Amino acid sequence: MKKWLSVIILAMLVFSLAACGQKNDKASDQKKETKKTTEVFKIGAIPDQNAADLEKGMTAVAKYLSEKTGMKVEFVPSVDYAALVTGFQRGEINMAWFGGLTSVQARNLVPDADSFAQRPRDAEFHSVFITQTGSGINTLKDLKGKSFTFGSESSTSGHLMPRYFLSEAGINPNTDFDGKPNFSGSHDTTYKLVESGAFKAGALNEAVWQVAVKEGKVDTNKVKVFYTTPAFFDYNWTMNSNVDDVFGKGATKKVEDAILSITTDQKDITDFFQTDKFVETKNDNYQKIEKVAKELKIIK
Amino acid sequence: MSRLVSSFRLHNRFMLTLLLAAIFIWSLFSIKWNADLFHAGGIPTMLQIFEGLFHPDFSPDILMKGLEAAWITLAYAVAGMSLAILYAFVVGILASGTLTSSRVARLSSKIFFRGVLGFTRSIHELIWAWIFVAAVGLSPYAAIFALAIPYGGILGRIFADMLNDVPIEPIKALKSTGASKLQTLIYGYLPLVWADLISYTMYRFECSIRSSAIMSFVGLGGLGYQIQLSLADLKYDQVWTYVFFLIVLVLLVDVWSNSVRKVLTERKRRRGLSPGWGSSLFAILLIIGSWVFITSGDKANLLELLSDKNLEYAKKFFGGLVGVNEKHPAFLVTSEWSSALKLTLETLEMSIMAIGFATIAAFITVIPAARNMANGSLTSVKKWYNWPLFGIVRIIYIFSRAVPELVWAMMIIFIFKPGLLPGAIALALHNFGILGKLWAEVIEDMDPRPIRNLASAGASKIQILFYGILPTVLPRFLTYILYRWEVIMRTTIVVGFVGAGGLGIEFKLAMSYFQYTEITLLLLCYMILVIIADFASESTRKAVK
Repeated sequence: MKKWLSVIILAMLVFSLAACGQKNDKASDQKKETKKTTEVFKIGAIPDQNAADLEKGMTAVAKYLSEKTGMKVEFVPSVDYAALVTGFQRGEINMAWFGGLTSVQARNLVPDADSFAQRPRDAEFHSVFITQTGSGINTLKDLKGKSFTFGSESSTSGHLMPRYFLSEAGINPNTDFDGKPNFSGSHDTTYKLVESGAFKAGALNEAVWQVAVKEGKVDTNKVKVFYTTPAFFDYNWTMNSNVDDVFGKGATKKVEDAILSITTDQKDITDFFQTDKFVETKNDNYQKIEKVAKELKIIK
Repeated sequence: MSRLVSSFRLHNRFMLTLLLAAIFIWSLFSIKWNADLFHAGGIPTMLQIFEGLFHPDFSPDILMKGLEAAWITLAYAVAGMSLAILYAFVVGILASGTLTSSRVARLSSKIFFRGVLGFTRSIHELIWAWIFVAAVGLSPYAAIFALAIPYGGILGRIFADMLNDVPIEPIKALKSTGASKLQTLIYGYLPLVWADLISYTMYRFECSIRSSAIMSFVGLGGLGYQIQLSLADLKYDQVWTYVFFLIVLVLLVDVWSNSVRKVLTERKRRRGLSPGWGSSLFAILLIIGSWVFITSGDKANLLELLSDKNLEYAKKFFGGLVGVNEKHPAFLVTSEWSSALKLTLETLEMSIMAIGFATIAAFITVIPAARNMANGSLTSVKKWYNWPLFGIVRIIYIFSRAVPELVWAMMIIFIFKPGLLPGAIALALHNFGILGKLWAEVIEDMDPRPIRNLASAGASKIQILFYGILPTVLPRFLTYILYRWEVIMRTTIVVGFVGAGGLGIEFKLAMSYFQYTEITLLLLCYMILVIIADFASESTRKAVK
């Protein structure tokens, strides 16, 4: 027994060493290859809605970009908002579809990153507050003592701005609700949780809500909108500062132009983003978001 | 005076039980018990979740996804465990002090390496995973290292304990023949502990499957990732499909590890060629398969882990944790400490509530779950319903422990309002199955004669429980309760991730907002809790002895 066990351990050691050796060879091979062929341009998006839809829409963007720019473009899904921001910081994501808050976070971590494009609607974005019909909630003040759910904690339209407008209305989300507020993680989950009755009310992205109503994903006999926030800047495409270094001079410009020249001919894309085009935006547009985030101590 | 002391000793266990019960009741006061604990819509949501349980989604593409995810989960667990064994082997030997000769060197090496083992196992694997992901990015190695470190810590400690507990005579005999330290280790110590070491490693392997599933919550693929995605889309039927995959995986490993343990214990009696060959061949194939799969995958570039870029990010990250360039690091601000300590207390209450619930649930179910109770050998009374009852309770146990706490928490959070209670219930749901299984084994191992005596004297089941079984098994039950409580303490932060109260939710928020010094503060609080738990359970165990 002693013998065969020693043999096993030895074998294990040898094999794991062998595995390591293999790996190293492969690693250097890969490196050589990537030098020869082109690096993959990786795009990401905050996972703020149904994962399958997101995958479909963003893969369409990746396909369009690679046709237009000749680069190899790939969509990389993320588990949560923070993971995407981290990936962007590490330069593993070259361009991302961020929300207002996540773009501010990302630019804090990558100072030379550039929020360059948005949908026309993102200049005047709104959040909607929803509740069950017959809940008796008609204004923000009525939310006192009711259970409430936000979307992801890193979401602009699902958390940051709703929280801001709640506190403007004199509601402290940490103490005034029935229990602590919930973070559902995504806009789609928020309306589903309110529809099922799990929470009395919630706040979400107006665009996601409109799609849900249009496609019959939510039962409007059960859930209604009782408050729409004033306008704020939200979603945008943000380009990483490493793109020209990795893909050669002019790569940034090429991709930016490609995004800005999307028309309804790219139906998969425009349908997914519910827009007919993308327009230019600039970093300064998100100063208000940054200010609110600082006030709410989300950014220090 | 001496009479007082002896009477105290007599009542020692009783007092201790009372004390523990009182602490449990105190923890219950942290919650306002009323109907408000449920969501208004909690019940319908619960029904939907249950509906998914009975109509899981078995469509081919979901099954394929499940199969792939299960393989990833298994591969990470195997690869992580193989590293853990190496780490435990080296550090465990050093921590046992068997290689050092002078007394001072032995003591210092023991203290130092035991400290290393203690530190690595006190931090939950999910937190290691998150730290690695932040430092080296989303690479499979992040998951594997995150598994290897805490499991290596646990294995290493047990290994060191085993080496220290070997009978001294064979070692002395070897030494007197002039064997060197290394020779004594290889020919003296190691052969004596092999069997126990392997059986304990197999037991831990089963746990590592669950941990590996949880690991994927940081975005590393596998069953946990799929469960999380399906839950986010509220597709409960798919959630259950993946949960079933996890249960089957855990069961298979359970069966395998049982057979290996059986072979090992039987070999002590029986000589000759053993069926252990099959198992070890299988283990080797599994390890090779896992490593090949992982190293051939995308992003699996071990060299790149140590690239300048990663070193820079790691430096930045750890610099952030210790508050470089931060004017007011959270861990130096009194008000931050006081709010964090409040959460720490809440987390402590949550863990106590959790072990309390688990104990009650296991207590109610453990009697029918013992095999010797089911076949009537313990009480010499056979009832037709014994076996079905045994089966049902055992299935519930398997179900309860196969599903990780985090997954329970993610489901329960839909039913209860965010807070301490859902966290405690999730922890209890997972641990009651483990506790029940361990307890049932204690009952199966006990001396049946006193019980038969009681039964033949006409004692009812309840009477048998209170006068026959409990007095004999209570100390061991208590040991397991305390042991599980330590584990629960480590896991509290994890269930908090999904909004189930305590330190975890703040930890998650601090991560999302990139407030690094806040994270350090919360990690410090968490370490305080783990130390308290270790100390309290160690001293209670001594008191029971």
